Amino acid sequence: MNFLAPLAFAFAASIPVVIVFYLLKRKRVVKLVSSTLLWQKFLADTQASAPFQKLRKNWLLYLQILLLALAVLALTRPFFATTAKPAQLRVVILDGSASMQAVDESPSRFERARTEALKWVDSLEPTDQMVVLLAGANTEVKQSATSEKAALRRALQACAPSDSPTRLVPALKMAESLVRDRRSAEVHLFSDGAVPDLTEFENKALPLIYHKVGQRADNLGITALDARANPEDATQRAIYASVANFSSNTMSADLEISFQGSLLETRPLTIPGGQTAPQVFKASQAKDGVFTVRLTGKDDLAADNEASIVSLLPKSVNVLLVTRGNRLLEKALRAVANVQLAVANDLTDAGAGFDFIVLDGIVPTSWPKGNVLAFRTVNTNWVESVAAVEAPVIVDWKSTHPLLRYAGFDNVQIVQSLTARAPTWAVSILEAPQAPLILAGDLGRQRIVWVGFDPLESNWPLRVSFPIFIANAVDWLNPANAKNSQLLIKAGDPFRLALSESVKSAEVKLPDGSTKQIAVDATANEIVFGDTAKQGVYHLRAGTNETTFCADLLDSAESNIRPRDELKFGEYTRVTATTVQRTNMELWRTLAAIGLAVLLFEWWWYHRRTV
Amino acid sequence: MSLLTPELLRRLEQFQLLAARRAKSSAKGERRSRARGQSVEFADHRSYVPGDDFRYLDWNLFGRLDKLFLKLYEEERELPVRIFLDASESMTFGEPRKFDFARQVAAAIGYVALCGFDRVSVVPFPNTEHGTQSGQAGALTSEELAARGALRSVRGKKSSMQFFQNLNALTAAGGADFNEALRRGALEARHTGLAIVLSDFLDPAGYESGLTALVGRGFQVNVVQILAPEELAPTTFGDLRLVDSESGGLQEVTFGRYRMKAYQQTVQNFIQRLREFTTKRGINFFMAPSNMDLQDLLLKQLRKSEVWG
Repeated sequence: MNFLAPLAFAFAASIPVVIVFYLLKRKRVVKLVSSTLLWQKFLADTQASAPFQKLRKNWLLYLQILLLALAVLALTRPFFATTAKPAQLRVVILDGSASMQAVDESPSRFERARTEALKWVDSLEPTDQMVVLLAGANTEVKQSATSEKAALRRALQACAPSDSPTRLVPALKMAESLVRDRRSAEVHLFSDGAVPDLTEFENKALPLIYHKVGQRADNLGITALDARANPEDATQRAIYASVANFSSNTMSADLEISFQGSLLETRPLTIPGGQTAPQVFKASQAKDGVFTVRLTGKDDLAADNEASIVSLLPKSVNVLLVTRGNRLLEKALRAVANVQLAVANDLTDAGAGFDFIVLDGIVPTSWPKGNVLAFRTVNTNWVESVAAVEAPVIVDWKSTHPLLRYAGFDNVQIVQSLTARAPTWAVSILEAPQAPLILAGDLGRQRIVWVGFDPLESNWPLRVSFPIFIANAVDWLNPANAKNSQLLIKAGDPFRLALSESVKSAEVKLPDGSTKQIAVDATANEIVFGDTAKQGVYHLRAGTNETTFCADLLDSAESNIRPRDELKFGEYTRVTATTVQRTNMELWRTLAAIGLAVLLFEWWWYHRRTV
Repeated sequence: MSLLTPELLRRLEQFQLLAARRAKSSAKGERRSRARGQSVEFADHRSYVPGDDFRYLDWNLFGRLDKLFLKLYEEERELPVRIFLDASESMTFGEPRKFDFARQVAAAIGYVALCGFDRVSVVPFPNTEHGTQSGQAGALTSEELAARGALRSVRGKKSSMQFFQNLNALTAAGGADFNEALRRGALEARHTGLAIVLSDFLDPAGYESGLTALVGRGFQVNVVQILAPEELAPTTFGDLRLVDSESGGLQEVTFGRYRMKAYQQTVQNFIQRLREFTTKRGINFFMAPSNMDLQDLLLKQLRKSEVWG
């Protein structure tokens, strides 16, 4: 036997109250009267001498009838039938992203969504099942399919919003797999619709019901943050912040920047509706530290009003160029700021002490262990099926790759080149019809850029893209830069730290001040820390290695908290916010409560009348 | 305590008890009777019989008819007035006490009777002599016993002060058997006359046989029912355990203002039944709450009902 509302057992506490009522002895006042004859006659008159008497007006009677009526009504378990269809399985997806923390609903969008979801739990038929998914940084199954309302309520109560961007697609895919073979199923999405792009999810058949929460979009948010060397003054750092106003009205706020907690500058901002205001702060920096940018205005979403970034002091890059002589390449490398270039004919050791090695058509005696930029150098550990092609035609290049940023291959001709099949560790960033010409990727801990041709056998060095490519390559291959970019993650993303030594455990200090221990496998070469749902500054200590990293929202799609009436899935599917209410809203609890009140009133009434 | 004010006494002196029937008493009084005797009221003639007093010969008739006739006059006799006074425990209740009110009525009626040269006897019950059921009656003081004895037969206006004093000396206690007291009173009386019953009629055994016995004996009966205001409209509410003052019996009642009407209806039914019973038997019935204005009862109601005039 199961109880739909086990909490109602709390009403049993009223039983002792009733007993106490009956324990109270009716204290009769003893009174001497001349004769009880009249009283006996009176009682005989008032007591029924016949089995029936004329119905007299008595409030107690009305109260008892009302009480009985309420009890009977409650036992019939009445409900409001509405338009919702009966479903055997309901998958509830609760959007737990940062935008759900907006307070335009009271107390917040997430609480509102949770309340709505709880109502759907209440309306669950005894045979129906429900699944609770929380779509935060990751999709969590808070409750697998069950009919137990108590468990479902517990699961919903345990949900909490994160500071991370919305990742609805995994949740929808999970829901899709759950309802795939169910004839009668519904997917209820409780969200504000502030989601980036759902184009990769295309399913017209998904029985999705979108419950919209949220009312407005009065939000100023920091959508981008970066710290770089100031190009105008090498002693300073430039901090780029982008503040966007997602409201349709002009909004004002103060933008504060602080370094390691001490305030550097406050800048008042007034941003028209729908506009973005890029801001650049310049600050001198004496040591490595954290820059924090904070918006001090009052808006609906607090999660995007603060962002932090770790800024490390620039260090010079030690580069070893192994070549038989290539002035153009050497010149291009020297032109890059902070590069300490050494040139050699051959490499006899692993190249320790250099940040990366450039191999220019040389097969070294000893292969380097660090990052490598290799021109026309074949290492069979890297690539297979190496073949030579004459005058390859460049058909495509990946302009989105960091190596090819601002570097195009228009009007570049190549005399001859080696090609290789793209291995699993690398992506092809420059393509000839036959095969890739440039490959880039991470092989283990080694970052490798493989260029199949000698720049001198092309007109590339004469194009502006060549020095840009070399500068990009220095950036990309410099291990310090790679580390820098790792120090800023999106809230909810895992933080990875490569280990140079073996450690047994690590400790992470969270933004709220608490610490978390992580056990590390002795053979692991990196630490992965996934509990980054809250934004802020994290400190990780692993052995002698101490690292500070920041988790930030920095997501304009998330900061744009305007509730969407329509969600667009893929190319063709659209889901409109539903107005469907939960079904079978039961009333018997209300009725029982009224009945109880009537009963108490009746008791009071009865005793008031006898004295 | 004086039972009646001098002012009231003066007014009562004007009244005379009205008897519907000729007096049957053997003692002389001021009432017309069927007996022939000496008075100024001519009644009849009869033929002279030797030995008759010549003083009563009608000489005028002898002159006309030449026959001797004797003039007969009506004998005036007294009217015996018996006052049955309920002196049971239940009469001690009420504010003012029902017993006090009853004594006042008894005094007034007695005074009117004494003024009219009628014989008054007050019969309080329960009575010790008859060894009534309640033991309390046996505890009467000698003073009260003397008073009771003196009240058995009073005559003459000059006895009225003593009559009042004796009435004052009476106390009410114990339980009474109403019917038995009336039956005995009816049998004891050698001559019937006027009977006044002063009681609350709250006897569980009823009142029917007692009143019937009085009427059957030939008394002209007047009944005054005296009830306390508290009995007509109780002022105590709530959960009550009522103790009967005479029997000691218990009665549990839950009483509230909302039941007041029903209670009063019960009391009115009780009174009405008594009224119907008495009316059917030619008995004058008066209902008097103990807080009633005595003058209203004596000077208006009794007069209107021709108890006296």
